[in-house]
This record gives sequence, structure tokens and C-alpha cells, in this order.
Amino acid sequence: MAFISVKNLRKVYKIGNEKVYALKKIDLDIERGEICCILGTSGSGKSTLLNMLAGLEKPTRGDIFINGTNVAKLSEKKLARFRQENTGFIFQSYNLISQFNALENVGMPLMFKGMPRSKRDKISAKMLKLVGLGSRMKHRPNQMSGGQQQRVGIARAFVAKPNVVFADEPTGNLDTKTTDEVMRLMVRMCRKYNITLILVTHDLEIAGYSDRIVHIIDGEITSIEKNESVYSPEDDEKKESGPDNNTENSEVSEQ
Amino acid sequence: MKIYDMLIICLRNLWRRKGRTLLTVIGVVIGSCAVIVMISLGLGMNKAMDSMLSSWGDLTAVTIFNGNGSGMMFVTDDSHYSGNSNKEKPPLNDDALEMLKNIDHVSYVIPKITLSNEMVTLCSGRSDRYRLGWGEIYGVDFSMLEKMGYEIEEGAIPNEHNYKESIIYGNEITYNFRDTKKHGNASMTAKQQLPDGSFTKPFVEPVGGDFKIGINNTKKPNEDGSYPYGGRGYEYKLTGAAVLKQDPNWETPYSIFIDIDLAKEIIESYNRLNGVKKAKAPEYSQVKIVCENIDSVDAVQKAVEDMGFTASSMAQVRSQMQGELGVIQMILGGLAAISLLVAAISITNTMIMSIYERTREIGIMKVLGCFIGNIRLLFLMEAGMIGLLGGIIGTIISYIISFIMNTFAGSAFAQILGFGGDGGEVSIIPIWLVLLALGFSTVIGLISGYYPANRAVKISALEAIKNE
Repeated sequence: MAFISVKNLRKVYKIGNEKVYALKKIDLDIERGEICCILGTSGSGKSTLLNMLAGLEKPTRGDIFINGTNVAKLSEKKLARFRQENTGFIFQSYNLISQFNALENVGMPLMFKGMPRSKRDKISAKMLKLVGLGSRMKHRPNQMSGGQQQRVGIARAFVAKPNVVFADEPTGNLDTKTTDEVMRLMVRMCRKYNITLILVTHDLEIAGYSDRIVHIIDGEITSIEKNESVYSPEDDEKKESGPDNNTENSEVSEQ
Repeated sequence: MKIYDMLIICLRNLWRRKGRTLLTVIGVVIGSCAVIVMISLGLGMNKAMDSMLSSWGDLTAVTIFNGNGSGMMFVTDDSHYSGNSNKEKPPLNDDALEMLKNIDHVSYVIPKITLSNEMVTLCSGRSDRYRLGWGEIYGVDFSMLEKMGYEIEEGAIPNEHNYKESIIYGNEITYNFRDTKKHGNASMTAKQQLPDGSFTKPFVEPVGGDFKIGINNTKKPNEDGSYPYGGRGYEYKLTGAAVLKQDPNWETPYSIFIDIDLAKEIIESYNRLNGVKKAKAPEYSQVKIVCENIDSVDAVQKAVEDMGFTASSMAQVRSQMQGELGVIQMILGGLAAISLLVAAISITNTMIMSIYERTREIGIMKVLGCFIGNIRLLFLMEAGMIGLLGGIIGTIISYIISFIMNTFAGSAFAQILGFGGDGGEVSIIPIWLVLLALGFSTVIGLISGYYPANRAVKISALEAIKNE
């Protein structure tokens, strides 16, 4: 079985007496380490699919296996444990906690796991350096730009070394230049830790960063195309090749 | 999630909305203040009542008044006096005394014999010039005087060889001696303070003076209604030994004490002289049973009554008064409880508002893998913290209020509450009350937070990923 396996998935909303089929019948396999983009217009059901993959919504019918666990059948408590161990989440509107600084925001998943503060601060600090925010650790979200906030969000999603990261329109609130930076960062992190990334977007440009693009229209998968000209972090290294080519650890230039 | 982390988050959240937290805390402060102050007033009342009762008599004592024996009848309020008059009362004699001593939790018993004015005449001076007009003569065990709580004002307790030759006076009774050679006001002295601070002297010398108890012949009254007394074998010569201080119960000032054995002899002589045929062993007119502590009084009294005696104790009065006070305290406590209830509702309100504000935050926490149990605990903690904080501040303010009441308004309050302002504390806050108040306000907080916390738990994780 593939790392993520969606079988015969259906989601029906009842609005009054009318049934609305958000997802009709979805079958999808995603391999470990793959960057998979779910592409569709608004109302196509792409977000619903993501929500169900992440266990935020229960499907009407069908199964979702992630790493052998049927997410659709987990209880609330087991789901919390499953999220702690397997998933990271990147939001369109960043969703950082406003009274926490960057370091504390990144450490949240570790805190929920019950990791002591000193240990998680160390890991979070390392993560923040990795996303190029080594000098912004004590900043609150409202003291940072959108791009910086989303990088904190990315650090938070990857800090617990999950198996899969879900990203829901991660660049929806960012300008083109920042979008590019953020996307490269996400791809680099996934490749570095061999983490599966499921990316939901309506933007074909962003889809270009993924290995595979799943087109979804009206709750059905219409086509799955392999992306041949996929971006890889090595491209950056070739372009910026110089005496020090460890871009991963140096701070990414900020806007 | 570690408790420490939750505590930090909880404190931060409270701090984030300082103004609102403060207002809610003030509600709890007022509520807990009201409860503490009201209970402290109740405790103050109880204490005032106890000190008032103990000024009336020993709280650990059960007293048996002998209704059918010799001596005077005591007229007592029924509520103080639990009589079982249907029963044949056993004689209150030495055998009975022995039985009373053997009741559990009895420390000691103090018997008393009363010699009425009808039985004997007490006089002093040449040819019995000074005669006691009115006053009770009690036979008591001189060795028990100290245990009875009597203190000496002048003179000394006689040593045991002189018990039968000694007489002890209360500090007022000596003014009841009259001069039989004079008439009208000249035959009496009244106790008055002289300009130099000393008091007028009575006719007799209570310490060192000679006295005589003569047994009355009641068969042949004199023309003026008094009885002839004394004569060979019916006279007892005594020396004044001491004057007792006035005791708080006002038992001593108008009492005269002789040794109990002498009193028994006198009764026997009286019976002989007056031909009382069915003379039995002398009975005590009163027995005071002192219990080990205040809590055993009820049991001892019950045992005494089961033996057929009529007994009374302050414990009865106390429990009755406590019942009355209890009603007042319940009303006060009820008022205080209402303010605490209002505070509880305001905690719930605050928490619900806080949850509305933090819907997104709760959703994010869920998506990031926070256990719902932790979320519930987080909100319960916040509510409990508001309660505890209110309790702590409330306790501090209560101490201040209590201090002010005790210092400035003590006597005024005491008068309002019906206990004479004796300068005692009106409001008492013992440590258990503080702990109780803190615990209670915290629990109130937790209870108030329970519903909002469950609401928070039910918030869907989807809320978090809805885009603004």
C-alpha cells in the first residue's frame, strides 16, 4: 500500500433537503516523500479533501490510510496523538498565536507532545535558523511581515519531524516574490527530511513546485499529471554555486 | 502537555485581558469577602455567647438540685431545667455521690448542703448581739474550695484540723448582720465607700472574729415569729477564717460557707431537737458535677438524669442559644452566598467571552495535536485561577475589615448583635476559615469554568483553517 491511500472517498453535505456532493468518489495514492499538489478552483472540493486527509472532517464514506492508519476511523483522542506524531500543517493565514513569540509558536507541537521547555526551545531555535529567522526568535507575529510569519508557520509544521505536511493555500496572502521564497523553502524542507507534502492551491504557478498535480473539478479527480520540470533545491545550489553553497543554513534574504 | 506549560499559558491569557480579569476577580473578592466576614461575625457571636455563658456558670458543670431533700427549692426556668418529675427521685446522699463520681468523663463532684435561716441562727458578739438577718449557709468540702474556683480576698483557707471550727464569708454577706440592741436604721450597716477609699465596716469581724451557730427550736416560735435557738449541745462555736472574692458567677458574695461534715452534724442535731422522726441520712441540697470537657457534658447529664436526678447544665442553654445563633448565621451566610453566586456567574460569563475570542486559537491548537483534555484543563485552570485570586485578595481584605470592626466598631456591633460590648472580638477569622475560603472560591471558579471549558472542547478544528 502507498504511504497515503485514499479509497472510494465521498463527502456529502446536507443543506436543507438538498444533498451537495463535495467529493463524489476519490481514489488517490501518494508515496512517501512526494510533493503532491491538489489543484482546483474554489468550490471544487480540494479543501474538503485536505481537511479529510488531515482528519479535521469525517468522510461520508470511504477510507483514508496514512502510514497504515485509517484516519477516518480514529477517535478524537487518538487523532490528537496521530497529529502529534505524523502531521504538520501550514495555513493560508499563518495562524500563529499572537501572544506567543516566534520561538514559542514554533515549539507548540512539541509542547503538546509534553516536551520540556528547554529541550523544545533548542529544537525550535534550530528550526527558525533553518527558515532564516535566526534573528527574529523573540518577535511576536505582529512584529513580522507576512513572509516571515509564514516562515514561522513552516518551521512550526516541520519542527516535530512529521511524516506528512498539509499546506492549504500557503502563499495565498503573499506577494509573488515572497511566494517564490516560501515555496522554495517548503520544498527544501520536505526534501531534506523526506517528508510528504500535500499542497492545496488554485494557482498553477505554485503547482509547478510539486512532483505531481492532481486536478480536481466538482469533487472528482479529472486528471493526474506528473511534473517533469520540477523545482529541486539543487537547482538553487547550481545557480548560486560559490565558495559556500550551504544555503540551507545561511539566512535567506528577507524582503 | 506539561502542567507547567499550561500554567504559563493560563496566566498569560489572564494577563492579556487584564481589565476583564480584574473585574471578574473583583466579583469573587466581594463574594468571598462577604462569606468570610459573615462567618467571622458568626464565630465572634459564638465566642461572645460562650464567654457570656461561662460568666453565668461553669460550662463543664452539670448541677443537680435536690427537690425533695432539705434545703431550699430552686426556682428555675423550665428551659434551663429538664425535669422528669414523674419519677421518684432517689435520695441525694453519700451513696448517690459515689455513683455520680463513677459516671464516665466526670472529673469530680462537689456536694453542697444548704442550711436555711429557719434551721439555724448565726450570731456574733457578746450575748449574741449581732445576728444574721438573711443569708444562706452552705456546707461545702473546704478542701474543694479552690476547685470550685473561689478565691480568697482576706484571710486564708483553714487547715484541715480546723475545718469544723471555721466559717468563711462572701464579701457582701457580713453587712447582713444586724445589731439586736438597736432599732431602725441604726441596727444595720450598708457597704459604702468612704472618701479615703476604704469601705464602711460591718458589725462583725469576718476574719478572726468569733461566731456561733445555734439550732432553732421550730416547735415554739417567739412572739415576733423568730425561733428560740441554741442551748447546751445545740450550739457550735466558729472562728471567721476568710472572706472570698466576688466570683464572676455571683455565687459567693451573699454566701456563707462551713465545712460539709459540720453541716451534716447540724442537720442531725436539728432533727433531734425538733423531733423529726423519719430522719434519714442527710441529703445534699446541691451537687455540682464537673466534667472533663465541654463535649462530655451532654452524656454526663443524660446519665445523671437516667439515675433519676434533675440536672441542669449550661450546655443545654448553650445548645439552645447556638440554635438561635445558627439561624442568624444562616441568614448572614445566605446573603453572602448570593454575592458569591453572582461572582460565579460572572466567571462563567467571562470565560464564555474569552472562548468566543479564542475560537481560532483553540482550533489551531487542535490541528497542531493538542489533546482535548488539555484544552479543557486549560480553561478550567483559568477559571479556577480567577477564583483563587479572588479568594486570596478577598481574604486579605476580610482581615482588614475584621481588624477595623474589632478596633473601631467592636462595642457598637456587639450591642447591635445583642451581646454586651465587653471589648471582645466581634469578628474572628481562624486559619481554617481562610483555607476554607480559598478552597471554596477556587472550587466556585472551577464549577463556573466547567461549562465554558466543555464548550471550548467542542469547537471544531476546522474553525482554525477557515480563511479570514
